[in-house]
Amino acid sequence: MKVYPYRRLTGNVSWRVDSAQLKTEGEPWEDVESKYVSTVERVVALGPNDDRPDWTQARLRLSANLPAKAVDGGSPWQDVKVVAVLTERATNTRTAVELSPIATDGRELTGELYLHRCDLLDRATLAVHVVATVGGVRGRVIATTDAEWFVDVIETAPSLARELDVKLVGFESGASRLRRFKDSPWVVDTTGRIPAVRVNTDFDGLEGLMGGEGGNGAEKTVRELLLTQMCSEVWTAVFHSAVGDLEIEEDGTPLFPHGWQGEVLRAMLPDIHPDRDPEDALREIHAARTGTSATGWGELQPRIHFAASKRAGVPRTLSTTIRDLERLTQGDDA
Amino acid sequence: MEAAEDFGPWLARQLRNAGKSQTDLAVELGMTRAAVSAWIVGRSVPRDETIRRIAELLHTDLETIHTRSADAQLGLPVSWYHRPAHDDGGREYGNAAAFAFEADVSVLAREATQNSLDARLDPSRPVRVRYTLHELTGEALARFREAVDWERLLPHYDALTADGGRQDKVSRTIAAGLRDMYQRDRLVLLRVEDYNATGLTGDDYGDGLFAAVVRRQLDSQKKDSGAGGSYGLGKATLWATSRLGLVLINSTLSEPHEGRTERRLIGRLDLPWREVDGREFAGPAWFGRPDPNAKSSDVARSWWADEETVERLHLTRESGEPGTSFLIVGAHDVASLAPVTGDEDSVEDDDSVQRMHARLKDALGRNFWAAMTEGGGHEAHLKASVRTYRNGAILIPEEIVDPADTQPSRTRALRAFLEGDTVDRLTARGQVARATVRLSVPLRGGEVRSGVPHEAVVLVTNAEDDVEGRPNRLVSMRGNRMTVKNSSVPNIPIGTNPFQAVLLVGRAAGPDAPGAEAAEEFLRASEPPEHNKWGQTEELRLAYSPAAHRRIATLTTLANQAVRDLVAVPRAKRRNGGEAKIASRLKVGGTTKKARPSGTAMPELDNVDALIDETGAWSVTVDLRVASNVDTDRPITPVAKFDVRSGPRPAAPWKELVAISGCAVVDGALRLTPGSRKAAFRGVTDVSRHPVRAQLTGLVVELRSGKGEQA
Repeated sequence: MKVYPYRRLTGNVSWRVDSAQLKTEGEPWEDVESKYVSTVERVVALGPNDDRPDWTQARLRLSANLPAKAVDGGSPWQDVKVVAVLTERATNTRTAVELSPIATDGRELTGELYLHRCDLLDRATLAVHVVATVGGVRGRVIATTDAEWFVDVIETAPSLARELDVKLVGFESGASRLRRFKDSPWVVDTTGRIPAVRVNTDFDGLEGLMGGEGGNGAEKTVRELLLTQMCSEVWTAVFHSAVGDLEIEEDGTPLFPHGWQGEVLRAMLPDIHPDRDPEDALREIHAARTGTSATGWGELQPRIHFAASKRAGVPRTLSTTIRDLERLTQGDDA
Repeated sequence: MEAAEDFGPWLARQLRNAGKSQTDLAVELGMTRAAVSAWIVGRSVPRDETIRRIAELLHTDLETIHTRSADAQLGLPVSWYHRPAHDDGGREYGNAAAFAFEADVSVLAREATQNSLDARLDPSRPVRVRYTLHELTGEALARFREAVDWERLLPHYDALTADGGRQDKVSRTIAAGLRDMYQRDRLVLLRVEDYNATGLTGDDYGDGLFAAVVRRQLDSQKKDSGAGGSYGLGKATLWATSRLGLVLINSTLSEPHEGRTERRLIGRLDLPWREVDGREFAGPAWFGRPDPNAKSSDVARSWWADEETVERLHLTRESGEPGTSFLIVGAHDVASLAPVTGDEDSVEDDDSVQRMHARLKDALGRNFWAAMTEGGGHEAHLKASVRTYRNGAILIPEEIVDPADTQPSRTRALRAFLEGDTVDRLTARGQVARATVRLSVPLRGGEVRSGVPHEAVVLVTNAEDDVEGRPNRLVSMRGNRMTVKNSSVPNIPIGTNPFQAVLLVGRAAGPDAPGAEAAEEFLRASEPPEHNKWGQTEELRLAYSPAAHRRIATLTTLANQAVRDLVAVPRAKRRNGGEAKIASRLKVGGTTKKARPSGTAMPELDNVDALIDETGAWSVTVDLRVASNVDTDRPITPVAKFDVRSGPRPAAPWKELVAISGCAVVDGALRLTPGSRKAAFRGVTDVSRHPVRAQLTGLVVELRSGKGEQA
């Protein structure tokens, strides 16, 4: 629970991205279709696509609604302002814009936020804060909206969930760093913006098996099993990668990371420590990994393995596979 | 003074009503039969002195004989005529058409208003429909009962309810209606009136609208291919809504009948077979003037009433504009009672006029938002209003139904279309996108391959929150602007902004749309009596071809495709199928599942009171809520940290930690008192270890299980 030495604004500050426009050098502003601005997922997808210019600058129109007490005469706040702040962690970009009231009561505000493509590498976060002068101190944040928006410059579909970067490539013929894995069916690389999964097309028959559709019963069964096995390995790898690179507070408390690492941890921790809330579970796992806990890192591996295979759907797929296999062998006997 | 009718025909009808011949009158007046005949054919008019004598003989006043706006009261008075039972002994225990509907005011609003829409007189102006709820009690109720000759009806109701023997659906409903009237001294009248409609024209018995509504079942006189109804079922809802099976009608005709247009009255009672005073009756009964010309002398026909009678029957119309008023006696609303479970009292209260008022208004908005939408110089097809009275005094003033109240986004879509204010692609809220889809209308007579091309219109706009029910739906309609189909658009990806879509086909697509007439006719043939879809029908199979309904399926597919194209981002094309398939299994984020931990619970922070004391330290008083499954053996460590925007938060170590209640402080941690559901403590931070002045910070207070590592 957070407390502040001044009165904060309670009540709902709602806001949204109303529309977006893009600009290419030397061209006029061009409207972005509303379907790329999802109010459901709260994501603006500005990734490249066929009918979109190679844009250099974007403009987002924002609108916000303040609770009545924020602008009441008798409130403890003076000079109430609403600002939208766009942050991008990879490039450490921070852009703020003040919204201005459109109605006389001052409760409805709008503003335009400009952003440059070259400032952004990954998803940027957009949040709205209400700031005011309180007790003579200027610029105090009296409310921050819960609802964050994401501005995604990579994806074309506005979706909160992100797919890992999956590519079918030849390891032997491809990039040199992949050559040493030429006998491996797939590799997982967690160093990038988002984990990358590379499936080896030089592995004879693998591409046809994993990427194919249909096929006979046996082929389908094997494909399904293979895919879940791969997913299980991927989740194990990304979990280890995420838990191995945590920021630690001075009292030893690990912080949930941002981005995919945090998402992966939040999704898998309840299966690893079902009896703890996520913060507690993360502290426990961090302690186990760094050797400050009674539970050793080794003892935790079965749990991690279980969580990964559950997420990949291994138990379900395996049951189906065994059933299918029985049916297949019966077919052979007949 | 302008007379309502020529003297000749008026006199002829009065004589007929009175059962007198021209000779009889001539004798009574001491004149020749030829003189009377001359008046009747209009060759001459009687002198004033003679007119006075005629008035006396007809038992009427000079006013009536001069204005001739009503019939003289001589002869058989207005009364009830009950149809005798069939000679073959057949019995009908109810009206099958009425059973096809729930007794529900929103169904009534849909069916009756559709009938008014179809009866629109001047297509350049809206038809005006007004629903008036009128609750009568006490004196007012007694007066109304007298006006409908209740004493003569009562034996028939008694025959149906008294024996307690045949407790079928109809007599149960009637019994409830009678109970409501006698025990609670209450009767609800619901008047449905329309203006700028044709009125009940035509003969009392022959083909025509009057006979179709008053005398016949399942007779639709609708000939226009744009009409919404075509099976003659809808009118049964009027009787189904009356607990007493009683509806009184006053019509102003658009074409004169018997030389008159205003105040044509008749009542119709729809009851099951019954036996009263040893006579068997088939079911229906009519309230009217006995017709001397009918085969059976007591058959009741409509009569031209005077203003006073109309007023006493609550059937007064506000103007001479053509149209019909239906007065539903003992209106009730079964559907509004359905979701209510509880004692008898609350059920009765929910049958209140206020509730019916609200439901009527809502039903009108939901079903006719399109017909009520105007714009771009196009008048609405319909204007509707609802008002409620109690014993003649206004209870809820007249409310004009605004389609944007119940259907804001769909109304916006249609209005934008009418005003030509649509866009090709949606780029901001409040916009309406328009797309065209092709329907190949088959030719009549079964030519399979060829067809008339028609361009239907798809409108899409963002849904407004919460008011319209489920989002992401496509509503389809043709020229009458009645919602035929309301289906969800399939394959909409997660994250798509909520929308509403409208498909306009046939005349609805606009007068310039190619093939509009052909499409209109084709779709009407494919519409079943429920008007709830377009698909295979008998008519479609016979008039077109057995495969003709596939064209509609194609239209639906294309329309859904057009909607998807406007609202959803197509799946990325850059990846090959295999990669997409694998990647779809490897997603991070987007799910917000909050699983409660199953193990030992922690106490929860109930409230934190914080202030900065005179030394500049944070002083917090914390209330804890301790659930019964909290393990009190384990120590709890409260932790304070300074709030930061991101990254590690600096700790604010305690200088002082004091238990207030429900706990004790041992070695810098809290030990909860077993059995206590609440605990409170106070903590003061160590100023010397603050990184910044407390005044400029925010403090986060958390609880840790176990003894903290914090020094």
